[in-house]
Amino acid sequence: MNPISESAATDSELIARTLGGDGNAYGILVDRFQRKIYRVAYAIVRDDVEADTITQDTFVQAYTHLARFQGRSELETWLTRIAINRSRDWLRRRKLVSLFSHDDESDERQYVIEPVDERPDAERQLMAHQLRAAITRAERLLSSQQKIIFRLRHYEHHSLEEIAELLGLQSGTVRAHLFRAIHKVRRELAEWVTMREVNPDETL
Amino acid sequence: MKHFSEAELLETYYTQPGESMPVMMHLSNCHECAVRYERLEQKLRQAASCNTDKPATFWSRQRLQIMRRVNAQQVHAATAARTLRVAAAAILAFFLGGALVYETVRPAPQPAPVVRVAPVTVAAPGPAANDNIHDAWQSDELKDFHNVVEWEAWVPESKANTNGGSSL
Repeated sequence: MNPISESAATDSELIARTLGGDGNAYGILVDRFQRKIYRVAYAIVRDDVEADTITQDTFVQAYTHLARFQGRSELETWLTRIAINRSRDWLRRRKLVSLFSHDDESDERQYVIEPVDERPDAERQLMAHQLRAAITRAERLLSSQQKIIFRLRHYEHHSLEEIAELLGLQSGTVRAHLFRAIHKVRRELAEWVTMREVNPDETL
Repeated sequence: MKHFSEAELLETYYTQPGESMPVMMHLSNCHECAVRYERLEQKLRQAASCNTDKPATFWSRQRLQIMRRVNAQQVHAATAARTLRVAAAAILAFFLGGALVYETVRPAPQPAPVVRVAPVTVAAPGPAANDNIHDAWQSDELKDFHNVVEWEAWVPESKANTNGGSSL
């Protein structure tokens, strides 16, 4: 089969071919979704290496259970759910580990302010960096579920309905979690926000 | 006119902007707040943007690793299935062999010991049963007198009547 027809094949066709023993078909599916899965994983765990591992684990797990995929949702949604579940497991493990060790290096390293260069948008970059650090600090206060919902909203810009579908929750439940998360983030960002309000001339 | 705070605008950004109708209505009328909201939105989007654009080599390496793990899993699954089949065959052979050996070495069936039980004879009514009963009137000794008794009994009736009705 030539590459053009392979790339045009639908997900269902590629799944059927994979189940029939065609290893190349699964490679096409991996190529089709790996970027999206990596982005979701990275949005939640905020770590390059872990996002890479979670992406790989997601595709291996999906391959193992491919015969059980009933096609009630899109393959992309199914893969994203697996990735989110794996990311959630990782967050919980990390939280458990952090209870016994005070290794917060991965978080702290984001607070390091990089040297500002002399380019015109340097100040804007610095402020964006400060805001990013403040948000990261605020995220520490969130539970795993709140963190996942907040990050899918903040980094991936998913709508509440999309998040609800991905997490298998009611839309109202997601909204409630997001509200609680935003209130915690707001408190943490209060200082940063106040600073902006004191200096209204500064661009946000 | 009351302006919305940064915190309120922040909340509006994260919740569905379309759902915060009071804020959105205010923003449509208040240029100052609209500009602030736009800046905030821009900043948050900038802060949220992360560089996940990796070089092509990153994706090809990742894909290669995934396919390698998938293939390894296939081999592992095949090995596990083969091992399972071999184990099942071994168990079956063990039981069949055991059954065969048992049939071979099993001692020949001994004839059941004959227990001679004295037949229970139920005494049936009849002559045979009467034989066993010692009846003094049926003894062999009386048989000798049988003819005599029979002779004496054979007396003409007329004579018998003359003798006063007595046969003897």
